[in-house]
Formats: sequence, structure tokens, C-alpha cells
Amino acid sequence: MSHITNIISKELKELLTPGSVISVVLMVVLFAGLGGMIDSEIEKAQAFPELCVVNEDASIIEFTDADGTYTWSISSFLEDLYTSSGIPEDELSDYIRLVDSDSIDEAYAIMDEEGIGSALFVDPDFSKDIVSGTRGVVEQIYVYEPTGMFGTVSSSVVSSVMSMINEDLSKRLLGTQIDMTDYGFLTEPIDYNGDNVKTIVNGKVVSGITPQEIAGEVSSQTMMIPIIIMIIIMMVGSLVISSMGSEKENKTLETLLTLPIKRTSIVAGKIIAAAIVGLVYGLAYMVGMSIYMNSLTGTMSSGLNLEDLGLTLSVGDYALVMLSMFLSIICALGICMILGAFAKNYKSAQTMTMPLSIMAMIPMFIVMFSGWYGSGALIQAVTFAIPFSHPMMAMQALMYDDVTLVLSGIAYMVVFAVATILITVKLYNSDILITGLGQNKTVQKLTGRK
Amino acid sequence: MVDALVLNDVRKSYGNREAVHGISLTVKEGEIFGLIGHNGAGKTTTLRMISTLLNITSGTISVYGYDVATEPGKVREIISYLPEDAGAYKDLTGRAYLEFIAGFFASGKERDAMVEKGMRLADLGDRIDSKVDTYSKGMMRRLLIARAIMPSPKLAIMDEVTSGLDVINAFEIREIIREIARSGVTVVMSSHNMFEVDMLCDRVGVIDGGNLILLGTPGELKERYGADTLEEVFVKAVKNA
Repeated sequence: MSHITNIISKELKELLTPGSVISVVLMVVLFAGLGGMIDSEIEKAQAFPELCVVNEDASIIEFTDADGTYTWSISSFLEDLYTSSGIPEDELSDYIRLVDSDSIDEAYAIMDEEGIGSALFVDPDFSKDIVSGTRGVVEQIYVYEPTGMFGTVSSSVVSSVMSMINEDLSKRLLGTQIDMTDYGFLTEPIDYNGDNVKTIVNGKVVSGITPQEIAGEVSSQTMMIPIIIMIIIMMVGSLVISSMGSEKENKTLETLLTLPIKRTSIVAGKIIAAAIVGLVYGLAYMVGMSIYMNSLTGTMSSGLNLEDLGLTLSVGDYALVMLSMFLSIICALGICMILGAFAKNYKSAQTMTMPLSIMAMIPMFIVMFSGWYGSGALIQAVTFAIPFSHPMMAMQALMYDDVTLVLSGIAYMVVFAVATILITVKLYNSDILITGLGQNKTVQKLTGRK
Repeated sequence: MVDALVLNDVRKSYGNREAVHGISLTVKEGEIFGLIGHNGAGKTTTLRMISTLLNITSGTISVYGYDVATEPGKVREIISYLPEDAGAYKDLTGRAYLEFIAGFFASGKERDAMVEKGMRLADLGDRIDSKVDTYSKGMMRRLLIARAIMPSPKLAIMDEVTSGLDVINAFEIREIIREIARSGVTVVMSSHNMFEVDMLCDRVGVIDGGNLILLGTPGELKERYGADTLEEVFVKAVKNA
């Protein structure tokens, strides 16, 4: 064996420990899982949404061409569109809901009752207007849901569908109503944009704003929280675990444990000091990130004022967000103290930070991509179980007055933090801190070592 | 004379492996007691049990009447443990480290007096205000000995206290140990250096494979084995065990 291969072999043995290999495998699994989740979210978002067509009768228009007379309506166009996209005819009623009413308020009530996110409200004079060469009005109505990055894509799909309806009607008018000369009308026979877009936010109807615009504005104000939380947790976690590794390596921990001080005081002291550092980091990052985000979003801002939509936070809400952040840091430190108890030295402590980083990244991606409200029950359960998710979700939840979610998250984090601290104290009272896992009876049984 | 330390049939198991097999011994107040044995014999495990760091599997240990298993807090108030190859917090200066430790034992003027005593014992001159990570091994050991003695413990437990030190540093540290024993502090120490144990210790215990195979004064043991040195006693005792 040459000198260089000798060194490479030694280095590889040192670097590729079971801990580091497991961490890499977990990372691959995490990213593969996230990829799958993003794929399904995009697929879900791009699929034809469930759509309610209100006052369908008003859209029926009679056309005459060389083959004779036929009728056209928005619903018949939609049925053709959905079936040509592979949706079976017998399932069409699951996608297109026709409501015979000329009251827009009734449309809102139906959407609310049946949980339908998008609707097209056809003006009672629609067909009369089209036949007389006047632009017919179709209002797009959306219910805004506080979802993640892809949650509002369905509204843009509806908008595209509306544009297809407009184009189809235009073609038919051009093919039959040759006596019309208003080409503006012939190319854009339907008036469906501007104030004809209505979005229901927190039960309030706002005109001229799409859910995507609201989502963009909300995320520009809330997205930095998950990123900051993730950074703080990874950074503070690494500090605490490394400090435990150093204490063991330098044998200062042995000295500390023989001093006349309660184990709970040692654990609490370490956690509080690291939590203070975490909050200082958090504030520094928040200031830095808000300057960065303001300069970034300032140029791209939609000019939307979230206050007008009732999507603002009170002082009490901010206090809850801060409390949630603080508790999540305490939970992270509790986990770190447990992980740190198993670190043999500074080097092994470095690999111990990986599970924590993964735990911090999972909720960040979930909150950013699908959001709490847009996720399925399983993902919601996983998100809720990870304590760091709660401050990431808190701001958005409070904007939608979902105080229950925030308070239950806070209660969960309190229980989690107390449990981790108690486990840490128990570890500090056991031999594991001094002897490591190798001398543990259960581990010996599992590994077959003596 | 008061019993400073009493071990009664002390056993320690790691999983299915028993590392210490029923050790019993008594150390009197003011004694310097040496534990000798080869690597892995059970010396450090025994010292760690006395220091409240490891739980005792069975048997009892009492320090000045306090039970180590049931009254660890009381025991920690009267002991000082100096682990083998121990270090200090590298980002602190020697003085700050002594202040940190003194803070657990006293406050105000009493704490300041304790730190002064520690600095006198460490005898590091101006270097007491240098960061610990700039210290040589000898300086570090002096600081740690000062840290251990500064709170005036009733029982000082020292594991391989002069291991790896040069002749002068080892000599000076042995002098410090003699001095604290003269002041009434009981010392329990482990060492591989038989010459050091012979010179320093009033009584010696030899541990082999987790068993206490010999106990007595260095003179008694040498006489029993017809040996000139404690090293010879140790080799003969271990071979015959």
C-alpha cells in the first residue's frame, strides 16, 4: 500500500463513521421525501379544480353556422375541457357544480357551505349582452386559504380556464356573427378581470385581488420566520452539542458534576445561556433578513395592504409569536442536551447535530410549500409533532385568527420542553454521561458486545 | 481517628461485565491513600464512584458519614475530584477559572479569599491572567490542583495526578499534596508511579481485575513480599493473584 493510499484509507475510516453515514442517508431520504411532496403539491395545484358555475342558464347562447343551429354555454365548454383532459364523464359532477341562482350572495353561501374554493358567477344579462355585441360579465370568485407556496396555484388555473372560455366564445362569434365589426368585443367578449375578480378573505369579500397576490404579500411578511427559526435552531443546537462534546473531551464535565451544584441547575444554566444566545442571534437575523426582504420585495410589491384585508397582527399576536419562538428554542436545546449527552468528544458532537438540522428543515419546507392548512392529516401530524414547526406557522395562523392552533402549539412545546429537560436531568444522573452508550446494558444486548 | 472514607463490598457492573468486585476498605482522616493497579484494573471506576460520578451497583460508600448513593449533594460539598488528564475551560483565564469554581462554594469576600488562595497554590505569576489554552501541561495541572484544594475539601480524590509531568512539576505537585495532608485533608489518589506512591502514601491498596488484592502501608507490603520497592511488591502480587 502506497503512503497516500494508507493515509486515504485512515482518513476514510475516520470520516465514514456509522453516525456520519446514517446522517447522509437521512438527508437523502429527507430530500427525496420533500421532492415527492413538492411533486404531489404541484400536481394537485395544477389539476383542474372543483369549480362552481352559478347562474349557468344566463350563459346559454344560440349560434347558427353552416351545419345549423346549436347552443353554447360555459358549462358545456367546461365539460368538454375537463373530459378532454381525461376526467371521466360520470365524474364531471365532482368537478363542475352547477347552481341555478342569480344572486352572488347565494354563490358565496354555497361556496362556504360546500367548501368550494373557486366559482364563476355569470351575470344574469350575459347572453343578452353577448348577442347584442356588448361584453358579458363573468365574475371569478375565490376563497383564499392560507396555504403554502403552491396552495393558490388553483386560482391561476381557474383564471386560465376563464381565458380559454373567452377565447372559445371569441372564435364562435368570429365564425358566426360576421356582421359584427367591433373587433375589440369579438376578441374579448367576456369581461372577467379587474374588479370582476373577487376573493373571500376571512369571510370578507375583496375585489380586484387574486388569492395569489394575497399569498405573495403574506409570504413576503411571514416567510422569513421559518428560515430564521431553522437557522437559529441549527446554530444554537450545534453550539450546545459541541459545548457538551468539548466538556467531555476536556474532562471539565467530570469536574462540574462533582461540584456542589444540582444537576437541574447545570442543565437549566446551560439551556438558559444557549437560549439567550439563540434569541440574540434571532433578533440579529430578523433585523438583517427584514432589511434584505424589504429591499427585495419593495421593488416587487403588489401594493396590497394586508391591513385592508384584516390580515394583520396585534401586539398580543406578536407576543405569542415571540413566546412560540422562545419555546421552540428551549425545545431544541432540550433535544441538544440529550444528544450531547451521547457525544464522546467534539468531533462526534458535530455529527450529532444532523438529526436536529433535519428536524428543523422538515417543518420549514412543509410550511413554505404546502402550509399547515394545505397539508393532509399525516403531514399535519408530523408537522405538529416537531416543536420547531409552531413558531413557523404561528404568524400565518394568527393572521387568520387561528389562535387555537397557536395556543395548542405553545402548550405542546411546554410539555415537550419539560419532558426533554427531565430526560436530560435523568441522563445527568446516570452513568451514560461518563461512560457513554457502549457500557449501557441495553446497547450491549442490541449490539452483542460485552 | 475519624473514618474519612468507607467502602463496603462495593461492586460496579457495566452491562453484564463486572468491573469492580466487592471492594471494602477504610481511609482515616488526614491519610494519603494510594490506589495502584494496571490499566483497566478498576482504579478510576472506584474513584468515580467515590466522587458521585458513577452509580454504585451494590455495596455502600460513605464519605465522612454521608452515603454517596443517597446523599450525593452532601458528599460533593466536602470532596474535590481531579480526573486524569483533566482540563479547564480554554476560553477562560486561569483567574477566571478559579473564580468560576469558587462561585460554587462561597460568595463575596469569602469567594475572593478562596480565589486568592487558589492563585497562591497555582503559583502561576502573571500567567494567571493568560487564557488557559496557552498553558503548558505542568501549568494546567498546577491550576487544577489549586482548583481542587482551594475550597478546602475534607477529601481530595486525585486520579493519576502527576501523569505526564516533568520531574520538577511532579515534585512540586507532590509537595503540595504533602502540605494539604498535613493540614488535615484526606487524600485518595491513584498512580502508576510506584516511586511516587511509596514516597507519598501512608497506606496503599492494590487493585487487580476489579479485586482489592493487597492493603497496607508501603513498609508492611514490602516486608510481606520481601521486596525493596513497591514496584516489586506490585509485580509479585499481581503475578500471584
